[in-house]
Amino acid sequence: MMEQISQLVETLKTGTGLWNPLIWIVAIVIAFLIVYIIRSFGNKGYKKGTEQTKAFLSGNPEYDKEKMHVKSSNIYWGFLESLKWVYVALDKMHTGNVSDYVLWFVVIMGVFFIIMGVL
Amino acid sequence: MIWAVLTIIIGTVGLALFGIIFGLFYKGIDRKVSAHMQGRIGPPLVQPFRDVRKLFTKENIVPENAIPWVFHLAPLIGLVATISILLYLPIGSFAPLATGYGDLILVLYLLIIPSLALVIGGFASGSPYATIGAQREMATMIAYEFPLAVIIMTIAWKLSSITAGGLGLENAFAMSTIVANPVWNSVSIVGFIGFIFLLLALIIVTPAELSKIPFDSPEAETEIGGGLLVEYSGRNLGMFYLMDSVKTVVMASLIVALFFPYNISNLFGLEAASIPAYAIDFIFFLIKVLIIIVFSVTLIRVAVARLKIDQIVYTYWVPLTLFALVGLILIMWDGYATTQLNLPTVVDWLGLG
Repeated sequence: MMEQISQLVETLKTGTGLWNPLIWIVAIVIAFLIVYIIRSFGNKGYKKGTEQTKAFLSGNPEYDKEKMHVKSSNIYWGFLESLKWVYVALDKMHTGNVSDYVLWFVVIMGVFFIIMGVL
Repeated sequence: MIWAVLTIIIGTVGLALFGIIFGLFYKGIDRKVSAHMQGRIGPPLVQPFRDVRKLFTKENIVPENAIPWVFHLAPLIGLVATISILLYLPIGSFAPLATGYGDLILVLYLLIIPSLALVIGGFASGSPYATIGAQREMATMIAYEFPLAVIIMTIAWKLSSITAGGLGLENAFAMSTIVANPVWNSVSIVGFIGFIFLLLALIIVTPAELSKIPFDSPEAETEIGGGLLVEYSGRNLGMFYLMDSVKTVVMASLIVALFFPYNISNLFGLEAASIPAYAIDFIFFLIKVLIIIVFSVTLIRVAVARLKIDQIVYTYWVPLTLFALVGLILIMWDGYATTQLNLPTVVDWLGLG
């Protein structure tokens, strides 16, 4: 039993790095207590059900939740917009014509063989 | 083991106070310096302390659309995780409190938690502005993790590799290994330039880690009214304010540990591990952290305007990743330069060996 416990609390060593979850959990618990004590000095009251609990929308009216919903696909907008040039190029390659795909395969295999031959 | 746990308990209290007090103090300096750069007098250095005190007296409003327990918990988790990172970083000539219990990879993972806490808090606010801010924060995280990973892996490769140029050390990700083998000491001019590339890349990653201008589109006060923090007020906002302050110290301490782990107590002829040596090194550490904060936070946010989220993603994934990869390639070539071309190391060349 003791051996199992000591194995459980042992530091995991991979040869390049190390990590001991128990020590981290101890630190987290202590830090949580400190932060909780600091937080308890703050005012916890507010006026429920009044205007102050409505979402801030810069004075715009608040519509139904379905209409106001921000889709999760928006997360990728930054990537789609900034890497548009990549997607446009990839899109052009995908013609749906099998002979085009085979041609790509042959060309890339040829490039690989040239690289392997040179090296 | 019991002794180690006791040390961690007492040390965590000390590090939490250190992180919060110095974090707020550095925030005051940052605001003062940026104000002077803009031709303003700026607030007093203790203004961040007053801000937190005032936030704690304000009402802690929970929006009607929010998920209250997640909304309350997110700032706590963010601040707690940020404080826990300090355990794995050296402070002056003090070894990391949790030496032998965690490494750089762990620090990288822990650095994600405060940002995730902001994202979760934003989503839990039940506000369209906060949701947009949270989504932008996620995109920013995905963007800057790429060059950051290249930087960390390159340093670990340099320390652990057994090929030419590598130092062949064990536990290359351990902070004790990194601090004991400063990256600049074993490279020729080729590797030196490579590490300058990586340092500059890390300095540009830092404002995004801290959601500072020009990478603050998740908050963007003028556009989405504070984004993921728009519904936060009172003590919950105060918690996020403290988290931001502590994370600034954490990021600057990480840069110090990776690139500037030098101490000066030996220059004064002080006995190693004596109280005066610890004190001198601690003061030197605070100065290094200040310089890094001024360069990576203050100067950048005063000099540059806010980028759009697609510009942020492009900046990190294309120019900055390429920049970091060039640094990586230069450091790989450094082995060839030192072994085949017999270039001296920069330290020997400058006669500092």
